[in-house]
Amino acid sequence: MSRVLRIELRRSAAIGAAASLAALGSLAMYFAEGISFSTGWIQLAMTQRWYLALLWPLMLAAGAWQARREHRSNVGELFATTPRPVSQRVAPTLGAMAIAAVAGYLLMGVAGAAWIFDTAGYLPAEVFVVTGVGALALVAAAWLGLAVGRLLPSPVTAPVLGVAGLGLLLMLPLATRPFGWLGLILSPAAEMNMPGDYATVPGEVSAAQSLWLAGLAVAAVLLLASDTWRNRSAAVLPAAVGVALAATVIPHENRLVTDAVDPVARELVCAEGEPQVCVSRAHQTLLPEVTGPAREALAVLQRMPGAPTRVHEDTFAYPDTYPEFRTDTVLLRVAAGRTGQLANKPNVLVDVVSGAFSSPPACQNPPASADQLAAAHWLMGTEPLAPDREPLGRPDPGYVVEDASVEAAEVWAHLRALPRDEAASRVGALREAAVNCLPAQGWLR
Amino acid sequence: MKGLRLYLRSRRAPAATGSAAGILVVMWVLWESSSNSPEAGLQMVVLTILLLVAALTMTLSGPDDELDRTGALPWPALRALHLSTALVLIGGQLLITQLTGARFGPTSLALRDIAGLLGLTAASAAVIGTAKAWFVPLGWTLAAVLFPQGDSLLGRVLTWQAQEPSSRAAAVTATLLALTGLLAYAMTGPARKAPGDATTQ
Repeated sequence: MSRVLRIELRRSAAIGAAASLAALGSLAMYFAEGISFSTGWIQLAMTQRWYLALLWPLMLAAGAWQARREHRSNVGELFATTPRPVSQRVAPTLGAMAIAAVAGYLLMGVAGAAWIFDTAGYLPAEVFVVTGVGALALVAAAWLGLAVGRLLPSPVTAPVLGVAGLGLLLMLPLATRPFGWLGLILSPAAEMNMPGDYATVPGEVSAAQSLWLAGLAVAAVLLLASDTWRNRSAAVLPAAVGVALAATVIPHENRLVTDAVDPVARELVCAEGEPQVCVSRAHQTLLPEVTGPAREALAVLQRMPGAPTRVHEDTFAYPDTYPEFRTDTVLLRVAAGRTGQLANKPNVLVDVVSGAFSSPPACQNPPASADQLAAAHWLMGTEPLAPDREPLGRPDPGYVVEDASVEAAEVWAHLRALPRDEAASRVGALREAAVNCLPAQGWLR
Repeated sequence: MKGLRLYLRSRRAPAATGSAAGILVVMWVLWESSSNSPEAGLQMVVLTILLLVAALTMTLSGPDDELDRTGALPWPALRALHLSTALVLIGGQLLITQLTGARFGPTSLALRDIAGLLGLTAASAAVIGTAKAWFVPLGWTLAAVLFPQGDSLLGRVLTWQAQEPSSRAAAVTATLLALTGLLAYAMTGPARKAPGDATTQ
């Protein structure tokens, strides 16, 4: 058996399919939509799943092409006279294509891992689950392609199947509109794009997708190995059972993956020593870069009575997961840049000092960002300048960071003109108002 | 006339043109029934052209290319004529849709993508053989349609299939591909088949 499998691996489309998957997948990850996996491992696994939108149809086509081999080499009649069951003959082909699908997908993952290998820290178990479901999706695609290719042995089957698969994946979100969870079961690429920093894929989703994909794979095998139309129509059964089981496993809500937050990734990891500086576990490799400027900023803030003594990362997660607000803690936004380094490093000092004048998230009238900046720069004794800000985290061409520095410079000049004690009491009052959620306008002007 | 008929039959031209027409009808019906706009979307047009080119790819080889080569025929001219006929055939089919309620165009985009993809598939046929030639245009075009890049010159060249008809970078890329494919295929013909792909395709 293993000898046949080895020959099949060499002689079939397996090697070509694996190489194409790995090459196209790696190119897509690096060039298609900007690098959205610099934050860590789960982002890499989800980005890989997103590009199944391209790879899944191609694997279907590869399977369909492979299935035409008997037809191309005119041995159908010869094989029909061989007293062996079809299943025995197709097993090595199924094995070879499955190995190719898994190998190509893993190679693509390795290509992505090379980019984040030394900057990604947190490795949750979901990474392996998400990758495994992705590989299963490709195996199911290859087998389905084999089955369809055997049923319809025409030279155009493979390209048509590829385009049809792409169309199907593109139409699924629309076709399942009010039931987003159904689209999530059926499409292995759904909701996987642009994963957030605390992204995760809930276990129920992965379980449901695995059930459906396993059902699909079994259906494809039945379709491929059966000779009569009665058996072939019975192949619908495993796929239907797969969907039905998946529908009972998955919660019937929409945006299950988009809104999912990994609480372990949000937990704080603190730097050694005092004062306390903490970032989330997902960003733990950025902690050394944050600690220095954050402690410097805390030292600056000590010039103010009742100053905060700790810096924590602002672990806000879309849509409504806020970190706890405490008056002795400054919340700092931390984001990884394209290469996995701290994106806003030159601004950490200013961000922490001005962050001391922020209000709890539910407040109606927090201080204007110009006032926060002016107060921060008054404490630091420097003039507000336009921030030299890399776009935070992911590439987002339409996004412009609001530049409050011009207005802040005016307020700052006004503060400087005041007597020192007067200015200090106003800055203190601004902070009091901000953290206690009182109207904060007009304290500095 | 008899020679032409035999040539077309050996290249399975009836089956290929039949599949192409069938594919166009299916895509036309899909657009007509799913959208109110009379102009088919760019993705739809590009994918349709891709499928039509893939359907005609099977005519690039006969049952026995080695035997064909022994015929005292002007093969380079014949192969160039073959490719030009395919271009006219696909272009003509798309032009017919201009008279209907779901138009697959504009013509400049159709011409650019047909020429470029035919060249690409002909070049692949010359290098890796006709049986696998459809894969290169398929993989490239699906990627370009899903993730078109218009910002940089390199992006416009790499995703030329899905660029606007006015894009010069895309037009130049398509022309280069068309000429490369025409030259490679006309001069060398389809690559020799692997043992597994022997006899009929």
